[in-house]
Amino acid sequence: MLELQSATLAYNSIVAVDSINLEIKPGEHVCLIGPSGCGKTSLLGLMNGRLESSSGKVVLDGKELKSLSGRALKTARSKIAWIPQDLGLVPNLRVNQNIACGRASEKGFLGLMRSLLLMGSREKEEVADLLKRVGIKEKIFHRVDHLSGGQQQRVAIARALYQRPEMILADEPVSSVDPERAKSLVELLIGLAREEGQTLVMSLHDIDLAKRYFDRVIGLREGQVVMDGAPDQIDLEQLYDLS
Amino acid sequence: MLLFFAGLWVIGAKPSELVPNEGGRETASEFLKAAIRPALDFEDPEMRESEVDFIHKLGRALWLTLRYAVAAMSLALLIGIIWGVLGSRAWWSKSSLFLQTIRIGSRLMATAVRSVHELMWALLFLSAVGTSPLAAVLAMALPYGGTLAKVFSELLDESESSAAGVIRMSGGSGLAAFSAGVVTRALPDLATYALYRLECAIRSSAVLGFVGVPTLGYEIKTAYEDGHYREIWTYLYILLAVVIFFEWWGARMRSLLTKGVSSIKPEVKQPNVDHLWKSRGTSLFLRSSFLIVLIGGTMSWLLEDRWGSGVSWEQKLQNLDRFTDEVVPYPVREADGDWSEFGPWFGEKMAKGGSEAVWQTFHLGTASILLAGALALLAVNLSARTLASSMPRGVWDRGMAWRSVIGAMLRVAAMLGRAMPEFILAFLLLRVFGPTVWALILALVVHNCGILLRLGAEVIDNITSRASSVILAQGGSRTSAYVGALVPAGFNRMVLFLFYRWESCIREATVLGMLGVASLGFLISDAKVSLFYDEMVLWVALGAALVFLGDLTSDFVRYKLRGKNNR
Repeated sequence: MLELQSATLAYNSIVAVDSINLEIKPGEHVCLIGPSGCGKTSLLGLMNGRLESSSGKVVLDGKELKSLSGRALKTARSKIAWIPQDLGLVPNLRVNQNIACGRASEKGFLGLMRSLLLMGSREKEEVADLLKRVGIKEKIFHRVDHLSGGQQQRVAIARALYQRPEMILADEPVSSVDPERAKSLVELLIGLAREEGQTLVMSLHDIDLAKRYFDRVIGLREGQVVMDGAPDQIDLEQLYDLS
Repeated sequence: MLLFFAGLWVIGAKPSELVPNEGGRETASEFLKAAIRPALDFEDPEMRESEVDFIHKLGRALWLTLRYAVAAMSLALLIGIIWGVLGSRAWWSKSSLFLQTIRIGSRLMATAVRSVHELMWALLFLSAVGTSPLAAVLAMALPYGGTLAKVFSELLDESESSAAGVIRMSGGSGLAAFSAGVVTRALPDLATYALYRLECAIRSSAVLGFVGVPTLGYEIKTAYEDGHYREIWTYLYILLAVVIFFEWWGARMRSLLTKGVSSIKPEVKQPNVDHLWKSRGTSLFLRSSFLIVLIGGTMSWLLEDRWGSGVSWEQKLQNLDRFTDEVVPYPVREADGDWSEFGPWFGEKMAKGGSEAVWQTFHLGTASILLAGALALLAVNLSARTLASSMPRGVWDRGMAWRSVIGAMLRVAAMLGRAMPEFILAFLLLRVFGPTVWALILALVVHNCGILLRLGAEVIDNITSRASSVILAQGGSRTSAYVGALVPAGFNRMVLFLFYRWESCIREATVLGMLGVASLGFLISDAKVSLFYDEMVLWVALGAALVFLGDLTSDFVRYKLRGKNNR
């Protein structure tokens, strides 16, 4: 379980996250929604410890992230997969090599290098199965920069799943695709997370997607939570005001 | 313009000296006539009777030129990788003051090492331990290592992206994130830059012949002294062919590494992993190239049976001891190591020609790059492929076939110009023009214009804005489109390249004086001949300081022009 206790993140005089209290339960599918600059990316950054809170606590499974270091921090991070807005793929590597990076923590440096240079047949099969689930198995040995934007998003999702995380944090992963493709990608990610029993926190702009697919919607404005609840329990007008 | 003419005045370049005297014209005529009949055998009949044949001699000089260049580059690569990583911001994920000091210190040291030209390093090593293949290789490996380190750290910083962040956030180590997220992304640029430096190393290896290393430069120098012009052309043609081949190789590698090779469609309808693996995009050219580089790098070290100078270790240590003793300024030595004597000695040396030589060297490099830049700016209009074609910038234009021909000719001339080492060109031009600084200026202009012409044409060809097409579609000429739309759009990048070459020109200008024209190189050469090692080291250090300042200025201007924080 992930908890934020009065978590605040400030850059000089700008407060990106303003004393937020949240609790994300295992298996929950949460959508963060709000206008640009409302603090969605910063909030996700606090959740995986990428950003350090200026005050307050971020607690993962009973341990405060800020107090962890070394192996303990790496173990905590390995439980959370992150899909950044620009997907964080290496364009000149092949799809299978990018996906192998998902298990960097488990493999260690030498293991990861071995996977990048000479991936074993068992691992190739495992990656191929995963890619089959995201619908691009035939692209397993293609260079990422030879794929379309939608296919690259699927690679990023596959890499997150390959990590075998307990929680996936996705930062506007469908911001640059057309509505139809966005719908199918969100559907895919939600479906896969559900199959694996993984927690999913995704930031989105599209309210219809948020209402349709998520258990819980958190509305943000100027770094503060302005609404939090199941889609059928929240004020729709207020929600549209946020988009 | 003012700086250019002021520069010409400072270095004493009189327009009248641009016309060779009668003797020079005769030499030039004989030399040019020999170009169409390169020698396939010794010109000297007596030599034809000897046991060694010309082709064997040529082959050996070429072999040594290549081997020393490859050995130096393999060592430089090692230095460049280690130093480049230490100087890269992407490596030091935490930004404490201590780590920042190490990073900036590494970068400054790399810049300082590359500030001393390889010919200067060679002079220092040869003076210290005598002529040996190892001295030649080290002389190239040090400045090349510094250059690679500087560029590698910049490339690594530019490649930092969220990919490394994703690996770190998934629990991967800093080393794993740096290797898989940063180095892999930068790899195409790192590899192609290293290949470009290999091409430069071949030119440098040839030039080292002028200080006694038995490479192509040595053969060119001795053939000239014997008046065997046809032999010189054979050596020049071989050198140009090799350099052009390496340029082609580098360009092909770059294209393959950056664009990649597309996978083919598997032959079966329901492919399994094996089928998909077999249909992945691969390049035999890339694989063989890496193999050749690996084997070449190893063999360049293993095939030399005598890396030393053949002098005993005792003798070498004695030489080194004498050299280290004699590099201490004479008055300091006389005063039993009292360094307070250094100031007056330094002041005297600077007053008796030192400061003038520094000033002349600076203006030699600056005036040359200004002229090269101006010529390139004019010629790019004719040589850029997107302007020279029958569909300039995608707009149909009839009856300008001559532009395609001129464009192709200019591109060939630029290729030959950049393939020719400035030092060798200056050596040959001095024989035509006599002892005038114009020979050095022209050598620098020809080489740098060749480089700027190519870079400038690439800038123009890569501009995607349609403004130039609009001018052409409205009936404007290609020159109007170039001046009115393309130059303004690519101006920043062109100036960026001009500063990059200015720094190289200053570096080259410090050694060209060794050919006998007043500047720092001349003082270095003079001190070496007189065995005044303290003076020699002083002039080398001054030259390095000048290049170091030029390098920092160029870095600063380029950083401003890029308009982003990449340090």
